[in-house]
Parts: sequence; structure tokens; C-alpha cells
Amino acid sequence: MFRTLKPFEYLEPKSLEEATGALSKYGTEAKVYAAGVDLVPRMRRRVIQPKCIINIQNVEELDDVIAGNGDGVRIGTLASKRSIEISDIIKEKYFVLHEAIANIVSIQVKTQGTAVGNLCVATPASDVAPALYVLDAKLNVFGPSGQRLIPIDEFYLGVGKTVLEPNEIITEILLPAPAPNTGGAFKKLVRSAEDIAKVNAAASITMEKGVCKDVRIALGSVAPTVVRAKKAEEVLRGKKIDQKLIEKAAKVAADEVTPISDLRSTADYRKETSAVLVKRILAKAIERANG
Amino acid sequence: MTTEYKSVGNRIAQKDVVLKATGEGIYVPDVNLPGQLWGKVLHSPHAHANIKKIDKSKAEALPGVKCVITFDDTPKILYARSFRDQPLGPSKALQRSDEYILNDKCRYWGDAIAAVAAVDEETAEKAIGLIDVEYEVLPFVLDPRDAVKPGAPVIQDWCPNNIPVAGPCPPFIKKGDVKKGFEESDVVVEGTFFSMKQVICQLEPQSCVANVDTNGKITIYSPCQLAHPFRRELAKMFGVGSGMINVNSTAFVGGSFGCRLSCHNEPIAIMLSMVARKPVKLIYSKEEDFCNIDTRTPDYITAKLGLKKDGTLHALQVDTMAWASGYLSRAMLAGSITLVWGMGHYRCNNIDGSFKVVYTNTPLSGAMRGFGNPEVMWAVDQLLDEAAVKLGLDPVEVALKNAKKPGEASNMGGLPLESTYIDDCIKQGAEAIGWKEKHKKNKGGTATKKRGVGMSTMTHCSDGWPLLLAHSGAIIKFNEDGTINLICHPGSPGTHIWGSLSQVAAETIGIPVEDVHISGMQTDVTVFDLGSHASRSMFVTGNAVKIAAQKAKKELLDYAAKMMVEDPDDLEVDGREVYVKSNPPKRIPVREVAHEAIFGARGDGYTPAGVGCWNSTYSSPPTAAYFAEVEVDTETYEVKVLKFVTAMDCGKAINPMSVEGQCEGGIQNGLGAGLMENYVYNEKTGEPLSLNYTSYKMPGSLDMPDETQIIIIDKPDPKGPYGAKGVGEPALVGIAPAIGNAVYDAIGVRIYDQPITPEKIMKAIKEQKSK
Amino acid sequence: MKKVINLTINGSPYEVEVEPNLTLNALLRDRLGLTGTKISCAEGECGVCTVLIDGKPMLSCSMLAVAANGTDIITIEGLAENGELHKIQKKFIELGAIQCGYCSPGMMLAVKALLDENPNPTRDDVKKAIGGNLCRCTGYVKIVDAALAAAKA
Repeated sequence: MFRTLKPFEYLEPKSLEEATGALSKYGTEAKVYAAGVDLVPRMRRRVIQPKCIINIQNVEELDDVIAGNGDGVRIGTLASKRSIEISDIIKEKYFVLHEAIANIVSIQVKTQGTAVGNLCVATPASDVAPALYVLDAKLNVFGPSGQRLIPIDEFYLGVGKTVLEPNEIITEILLPAPAPNTGGAFKKLVRSAEDIAKVNAAASITMEKGVCKDVRIALGSVAPTVVRAKKAEEVLRGKKIDQKLIEKAAKVAADEVTPISDLRSTADYRKETSAVLVKRILAKAIERANG
Repeated sequence: MTTEYKSVGNRIAQKDVVLKATGEGIYVPDVNLPGQLWGKVLHSPHAHANIKKIDKSKAEALPGVKCVITFDDTPKILYARSFRDQPLGPSKALQRSDEYILNDKCRYWGDAIAAVAAVDEETAEKAIGLIDVEYEVLPFVLDPRDAVKPGAPVIQDWCPNNIPVAGPCPPFIKKGDVKKGFEESDVVVEGTFFSMKQVICQLEPQSCVANVDTNGKITIYSPCQLAHPFRRELAKMFGVGSGMINVNSTAFVGGSFGCRLSCHNEPIAIMLSMVARKPVKLIYSKEEDFCNIDTRTPDYITAKLGLKKDGTLHALQVDTMAWASGYLSRAMLAGSITLVWGMGHYRCNNIDGSFKVVYTNTPLSGAMRGFGNPEVMWAVDQLLDEAAVKLGLDPVEVALKNAKKPGEASNMGGLPLESTYIDDCIKQGAEAIGWKEKHKKNKGGTATKKRGVGMSTMTHCSDGWPLLLAHSGAIIKFNEDGTINLICHPGSPGTHIWGSLSQVAAETIGIPVEDVHISGMQTDVTVFDLGSHASRSMFVTGNAVKIAAQKAKKELLDYAAKMMVEDPDDLEVDGREVYVKSNPPKRIPVREVAHEAIFGARGDGYTPAGVGCWNSTYSSPPTAAYFAEVEVDTETYEVKVLKFVTAMDCGKAINPMSVEGQCEGGIQNGLGAGLMENYVYNEKTGEPLSLNYTSYKMPGSLDMPDETQIIIIDKPDPKGPYGAKGVGEPALVGIAPAIGNAVYDAIGVRIYDQPITPEKIMKAIKEQKSK
Repeated sequence: MKKVINLTINGSPYEVEVEPNLTLNALLRDRLGLTGTKISCAEGECGVCTVLIDGKPMLSCSMLAVAANGTDIITIEGLAENGELHKIQKKFIELGAIQCGYCSPGMMLAVKALLDENPNPTRDDVKKAIGGNLCRCTGYVKIVDAALAAAKA
């Protein structure tokens, strides 16, 4: 019911050390500000009421660059979702991430908001997270005790909860080089085009002469955190792929999710359509792997 | 479409629109008065509770807070925010006044119980948090079917059964013997449909700026669409004469769609201004818009149709149960008028029905675009389609068969239809959607995507006569430069009405539309206009403008006659010149006549002007036919509208571009109600969960049909100004049922409860399979 | 504690002192009198408050004013130049793309951002570019028409 924000301390640190130092001081009572597009609305709703906002836009070690990193790619903390979406290297080598962001309809939200910020909000319905799961993304994290690398599938603890300490900051997203003949796809189901996902799913598959060499399947909005459908992956890995096998894997994936009913959808619908989504994105991913 | 008029019928860009395009246009939230305070309202966090105690001391002590008001401070005069507790013409159905400005009991989650005025918004919001309220939480009831059960919580003490209003079928609609009619029918279809609580979703938050000066004069900048009745209601509430109140509607309004028929936070702002002795600005947050202003009134519509095997509608019964909030607001009217729409549209010899409006502990229900018509046609037109299916008949033929002709008794009080071109609507719309090639044919469908087409028709109104007052007035005066001020009060609902009325004025006098300035839209200045509702502004205010323009023109030409030494009947206006009809080369500029009349030396000066009033005692309702083509994904159950055609009979289109705009917007509104908009509650606490655009989805650009086509029949009505009828609400009425019928055509599933969601389709298909 | 920020708005330099908890939208509307930028949902869902920041479309309601330090902002008031309406404004007016007008400033700026990036958009491109801008009046049809017409003008 509020149109104004409550007052807070405001800091603009120039270095990671300064930033994490401030975070150490305030602990959970501080929030990091990179764009505001998630933070400010939640503050307005009084869901969070930080005592201190730490704007990291001027931290010299952080950037918005998306560039080759060895054989893989790095994405800077301050890179907007939109810049990732239209990045040539992402479109060329990590199409599933491009497609996931392309499914976020609001150009403003994508232009203003960062991918890293989206991950830190830790909503089970994140569109970015499932794509990063199937790309085996790692998060480079800086804290007072130094740098550590967190695989994306070890990042989430629950709804709104990550393994990040209050005084840690993600400094970049690292994506490994994709294997040759790898294709990915993303799809989500929504009430209206601009909406939080009822169900979303990402897949990445590496093919060789009709055989699945490797595969990743991840679903969002169907559990407190993103679900890696490992059993479904096992159905496909190392096997010759045909429509029947895809459908079998899709059904297994649907068994691995535990959706709830909420104002967006029902548990039954989410479970059934999880299979449909997985079936469709696998078909697309295979087409892209072969093409 | 050709036009024989100079101004009317043209796709003219509107002057006021230029100011909206540059950001110069002032809306109520942009209005600032010197020394103004900011107001903020405390809302009930309970669906139903008594207020035991309010301690406002901490809030009052906060620096910057100028006053804190509660029920104790309010005038103890009950009012109705719909203004229908006072006579409005012939309608005998007055509504009971059932609320105070701030109440001493909470009757819905979001009910306003206290308010603050402070030096800035931040302080006002902080102060709200410092008001301590002790509640006695009471059991609540959300669904009217539960509210009418014995033992249900009593919401208004004077109404122990929670049914403040109920009634039979209006006598001018009731016909024949409906029981016998069903017995004689070859097929009978029936069902109870649910039309959902559609949130207006107007983008501009409900806002107002109030000032009560030392003389006691109340000025209120408000988006209220019914400014003159609003003024009268305020006069009652505050115990002052109407002349001591000025409702200022000069600001643009960011969308109304019916929620602004009622007043909402204005009385609170006025009270704050009275107590604090300063102007007060009050802007609702979007959450407050979702729980503290009118929405469409949700309705359970039970309908039963009996048809003969040739498709003739032989018996029709509609019984409705409308959800009012804990206060009636405008639900009483929304609930009762559904019968008029639903049973007054088709020709039928045996008609009966009833309506019931029920108090519940849900947020305010009132009017939204269509005002009961979209609700009831959701039921009637889907059942008609069902009957057609059972009879093996084409729904297009059934609609044509039962459509009324001019002269037949209309829905409005049984007055004869002045015009209807619904046949044209149906035929042209069917052709445009490709009905013959697509109905029952799954044209373009694949293994997993099924396609279908569906249709709906309706009749609305161009004003509420004889059920309601239908009177509008306008003043036109010439300026010495030959331009005119058009002083009228249809409000500014954002429908291009200002431009369209300017076209009527320009056409009547003969001057260019650029020379018409809409001005003075405040009750201190304007003569009575009921306001914008019932799609009446074009029809009624338009006719009043025409009369005012004719009078002002006569006064101009009388003076020109003196100047030119000619017979005034032999003079005419052509653009910016007055000329002699029998001797066209003899002409003088309009500007010169006006200047001479006002500033001249003859000693006989006057301002050429005219006051026009018009009462609609006719029924010239708009009619329309709607056609949808959908594609349903048989695995995800998602519905996509591929194409939508609206064929609109709104008489002569004064501005076809505006008519199209209304129809295209109506498709957005109806598509939302049909497919995605859904107002839900936490059943345990009664708290609405649909409190913002995140939880409640309305269609965005990517949700609209791939293709929309608007067909304007453009045939004139004998009573409308230049033949025009209303269009604002008709634009929306049949959208959702057309989509519902198209879904049935595609996959053989009919969803009775709005919205049609993939989840409901999945459930319905599974139930169908298990049978 | 207030902070002094420097920013350019519609080509003019501004130096203002703001509290950290002031949003950019409130700075524009309530402090600087630039009421052309509207406010609606105030939580980033409707696009009504869209402004261009360094040429990019962003939500002024979901941004702190202090974080706009050093930026170059265009609001609707800055679209016309020297009294000459921008072609987007002209087409919006001419083709009936403005009804109540409340979504229009944000909508036109979203269209401007599109045309600056893609001078030859398809109908679909336009719909995507305004996907985050809600409108209850127009059904978006004439808005898309106007954007395409502006692209060709």
C-alpha cells in the first residue's frame, strides 16, 4: 500500500573490499543494489526493509562485460539481462540462455535488471536460472575470506535462499565451452505473455550420430528451487534418440517435480505440462544440436 | 467510407490528444495546489471486523502530521458512493445509503477506516503505520451463495439476510409464460455461469485534490464521471448547498471504464482538507486501486433457453446473483440491469427472471464497461451456441433468426427500437472471420493444435432512459476571434469524446473543428450533464451540443444579418465565413461578425451563445456482433485468439478512428476477462491475493489476437446527433462469449466460469474422457 | 543523509540534492515538476513510468534517484525538439494511438528506444518492444500502427 520508500543508509563503494566490508558491517540488514528493478518494488511493498543499500554500480572490479573466457564465456555482474540476450557470443554458443531471456517480455525489466541480480532474488520461477543450470554455469563469488566458485546447482537452498553469505558478492557468471553439436532450448508457460512462469524448462543436449552424448534438463516453478531432472537425463544419456524415448524422458521429468497450486496455476497442470515442455524443448534442442 | 459532412465522419486527430502526447496534459495526480498536504488512508487488514478502539495519538504526534481522522470525525450522514440514494429521473429504485465516509466497522479487506494529512507523502505513510487499531475480528463470508445461508455472518446490521436488494423480471421485459415456453421447446439448455470480478485496471491510480476554503467552498479535482450527481451527493454528505461545491473535471483522466462513476477517496480528501484547513492531495497506490475502488460486479448467472427446432428462441429465463461488497456501491445497479440486457436482446415470446444482490466481505463491486451486459451475455450467448449445436443449426442463422428489427420493443423500458443494423453486423462479421470455411471445420488445425470459431451478439443502450435520467446540457459561446468555447461536462474518460463533441459542434455551426475549444469542465460553470456512463455521451451530450450550437449559430447569423443587411434565414456559415445563400460571393468572416457583436459600436452588443439541453426519451441502442477464431493447444491447453472481428452498429461514426479505437480496446478488456483475468482470495483470511499487475494479469501487446478487424456499419440512427449512437461499452460486451464459443468449436469443451484457463480446460477434458 | 547528484534531463543539466530513498520517478514528478512521466503500479509491472536512461528504456519507479547520478535522461517532455513534435508523437496523434493518454509517455519512449536500435521493425518487433507497457484503452492496435508509421516517416 505504499508509494514511498522508508529511509536507509546509502553507500557507493568503489571496490569489492569496500563493498563486502560494508556488507559485513550491516549483515542481513543491507541489500546490494545493482539496478533496483527487483529491490525497489519489494521495498515499496515493505517485504524487505534494509537499513543500508549498497550500490555496486561503481565497484571497479565489477563490470557488465560479456566476453570469451578461455574456451568459455564470462558474464560480468553488472551485465543487464538484455545485453546478455542480444550478445552475439551468447546467441551463437549458449542459445538456451538467449532464449530464456527472450521469453522475459518487459524490455525495461531486461534492460535495467542484471542476470546476477535475478539469481540472487532466488525465486523458484527465475527464467535465467534453469538456462544456467543446463549450461553448467558457475558463479564466481567474492567475500572477506577471498574468492570461491559455486556451481549453479549448489547455489540455491530454498525459496529466497542461497548459499551466499550476507557479505559476499557474485563477481561473474562463468559458462564452460559447449561441446560440439550441442543445442539448447527454453520454454515457459504463462497466464499472459508478460508473466512469471507457471512452469519453465531448459534443456541442453549434445548429439553424435543420433545418439545423446550428454544432456541436461532443468525445470523451474515446480519446486522450491530449480529441479535438475537427473532421472530423465539418464533415460536419454548414451542412447539413440527417437520420439518414444523423448516422451519417456519427459514423463520421467514430470515425476521428478513437486509443484504446488497457487494463484498462477494448479499442481496437476504443472505436473502434466512439465512433461509437455520437456518433450518440446528436447525436440528443439536436438534439432539445434544437429543443425 | 464516404462522408457528406465536413467534420463529422472524419478521422480527425484530437486537440486534447496533442497535450497527452507531449506530457503537458495535466491529470489529477499532476495537480498541485499551493500549500497542499498529502493524504493517506489506513485500510482494514481484516475482511470483517468491528473496530473496538483507535489510538491515533502517536500518529498525531509525528512531526509534519496535520490531522488524523476516523469515524468519530466524519459527518454521521450515510451516503451511497453510487449517488443512487437520491432520485435520478424516473427510476423508483433508490439505493439505500449504507456507508459513512470512514466506517466504524470493517466490511471488507481494504475498507477505509482512518486517514492522515501530512506535509509530505513519506510522513503521511509513516503516520498511517502509527495508528493503533484494536479489532474484534469477525467471521467473514466471500461467496454470496454462502452469505445467503442461514447463520452466515451479518454484514450490515439492517440487513440480516445479506440480501439488500432483490427483484423480479422488469415488467417491460417479462413476457408470456416461461414455464409453458420451455415445455413447448424442442431443446432446452441451461447452466449457471460465473462472470468474474474484473478489475478495472485503469492505469491512473484513483486520485483527487480537495480544498475547502475559509468560505466553506469545496473544490475537488476528481476523475468522477458523474460530476453533477457527485456534487449533489457531496452536498448531502457535508450538509452544504450544491453551489458551495465545485467538482473540477478539467484534468485529464487516465482511464475510467466505470470505476469512476462512483466516488472513492474524494470524500476522505475533502474531510482531511476541512480538518487541516489546507488543500489535500490523495493518490492511491495500485494496491489500493485493487482493493478499494469499484471493480466489475461478479455475478452468478443462471440462464435457461428453450428453442424450437428451427432455431426460434421460444423461452428465456435468467436469474442472477450479484456479489456486492460490504457496501452496495454500484452493485445494486449492475446486478439488476443484467436482466435488461440479457433478456431484452433477442426476440422471445416467453421471458422471466429475477435478480439478487448479496452483501459479502469482498472489496467494492460496481460498474465496469458494459455494466452487466458482458456478464449476462457470457451465459446467454454460450447457451444459445449450445442450443444451436444440439439442434444441428448454424449459430449465425440462429442469431439472425432471433435478432430484433427496428420498431420492436427494445431492452430499454420496452421503447421501440429507433434503429438496429444487427443483421448487417452478423452477416459482415461472419464473412470477415471466414465463418463458413471455419465453423466446425478445424481449418488450419494440426495434430496438437485445434482451431475453431465462435460468435456472440448484443444490444446495449445509448443512455438509460426510461430506467434512468437521460439529460445533458451544453453551452457554446463565440469568442471575438470567431472560435467557440464548448462548455460541457461529459467528463474526460479518455474515450475521445471531447474531440467527437467538437466535431458535432463544428459540423452544426459550419466552422472548422480546430476552432472549437473545449473549456470549463467544472460544475461551477457547466449546466447539468448526467455524465459519462451508459455509453451516452455521444448520443445525449452530442444532441445537447447540437442544440447549443444551433442556438449560438442563430445568434451569430442574426448579428451578421444586421451587418450585411440580409435576411438571417438566407445566411449560412462556410468554414470561417458567413455567406448569403442566394448570393454566395457576398460573405464576411465569422471573426468579424463575432468581434462586432461583442466589441462593436452599435450599442446592441451581445455574445453569440446558446445553451442546449436534451433529454433522451428514445431507445437507440447500439448493436454488435463479435467473432473469434481461436487455436487451442491440445497438450498445454493454452488458448490463442488468432483473429477477432467486431462488427459494430453505433449509428453514424462521428470519428471512425475513435470508434475503431474503442472496439480494439474492448477486445483487450474482453479477452482479459475471457482468458486470463482472475481475482482470487486467501480463503482462510479473506485477503485478496490479486493486488497488483503481477498477481492479476491483463492482456499486454503480445496477448492480443494476431489480427483484429473492426467493421463499422455506419448507418445513421434517426435520433442520434448526425445519426450517432453509443459505442464505449458495446466495444466489450460480446468478446468473452465469442471466445468461449470458439473454444467449444475447437475442442468441444465449454467453460462456465471465467476466465477460461488452460487448467480448467485440462480438468474439463479429463472429466469428459472419464464419463 | 542527502546526496548531491548531477544528471542531464532532456538536454539540460541538473544538480539536485536528494534523499537516498527518493525514487527517480518521484524526483522527476514531485521535485522537478516533470509530470509528463506518469506513475501507476510503482513496482515495475506496467511500464507507465518508462524513461530513457542513456538511451535505454528503464522504469523510473524502480530506480533510486541517487543511482541516476551522471546519467542522461530523456522524458516525454524531451521528445519534441524546439517545439517540433517527434515523428513518433505525430504518428501517435494522427493515427489515434492515444486515448486516455496515461500509458502514452512511457509507450512512446519504449517505441523510441526500439526505433533507435532497429529503424525498420516488423509488427512483431514492435509488439515485443512494448510488451512491458500496459494499456487498457487501445488494445495496442493503433499503437503498433503508429510505431510502424513513425519508422517509415
